[in-house]
Amino acid sequence: MTEVMTDWDVGVIVLLLPLAAAMVVFQDNPYHALVVRGILGAIAALVYALLGAADVALTEALMGTMLGTALSVVAMRSSLVLRLGVLATEVAAPTPEFTALCEDLRRGIAPHHLRLEVVPYDDCAALHRALVERDIHGVCTRSRAAALHGPVCQYATVLRVSRLYEILRAAIASPTMHLIYGADPEKVVLVDPVADPFNSTADQADQSEGLVPQEPH
Amino acid sequence: MNWILGAMVLATLIPMYAACQNQDIWQKMLAFASIATKTSVAIIVISVLQDDWFIGMVGSIILSVGNASLMLLAQVLKRLNQTNPGY
Repeated sequence: MTEVMTDWDVGVIVLLLPLAAAMVVFQDNPYHALVVRGILGAIAALVYALLGAADVALTEALMGTMLGTALSVVAMRSSLVLRLGVLATEVAAPTPEFTALCEDLRRGIAPHHLRLEVVPYDDCAALHRALVERDIHGVCTRSRAAALHGPVCQYATVLRVSRLYEILRAAIASPTMHLIYGADPEKVVLVDPVADPFNSTADQADQSEGLVPQEPH
Repeated sequence: MNWILGAMVLATLIPMYAACQNQDIWQKMLAFASIATKTSVAIIVISVLQDDWFIGMVGSIILSVGNASLMLLAQVLKRLNQTNPGY
């Protein structure tokens, strides 16, 4: 350290580092924590440059702050998500019940900092294939009986991830939605009740192992 | 010249306090931008005080690259906000 700066000056600047670190620790939203991690990186670079390690400061700014933050936010964006497969017709012309259901789902997963991504598929076969291939975490279709009874649409959501099922089960008590846990996606039978409410596939589906979308009891 | 550095450190505390208080992520990004710029200018001031060109060069690189990281982060956060308002 040169004679220009006293130990007191250096001490005050170095104290910013634990302060910023404490700020990172006390953030509960991961995205907020990442932004505050950027602040920590900037202050760390200042401290390293102050103590004479200019190369370390440059590495901290380039790798720690820029690359680390950018990669973390991309990883977080693709992992902290609930991908819900639906039929394309639902997205093209959403019913008020479907919109309310999406809002309910968003509200249910928001405390865990997850976001909802609705993925449209053309038909039930594509939807089922996506569920089996683990491309999506769950599917949401209209209940078969809803097509038979009355104007109110009812939806059944089949989730293949048990933790997501627990979270949503505790958070959501919507009368228009029925949650089902499908541990084995292969056994989930999806029918398109709007296209053909009386077809034989639906009757066959009722006999499978309780994994078809059913009416709440 | 030391008082300039002291004033900058005190000024750095203001956006840090703002980042602590505010729950809006864009306010935090603003605080991040403010702190990143302040610290890199402080590095350049230190290089002048110590008469070290190497530190000055690093400070100028950090000053320009810090904004790039901010832009990258803002782009991803903007897309997140479009698909799921409230983040």
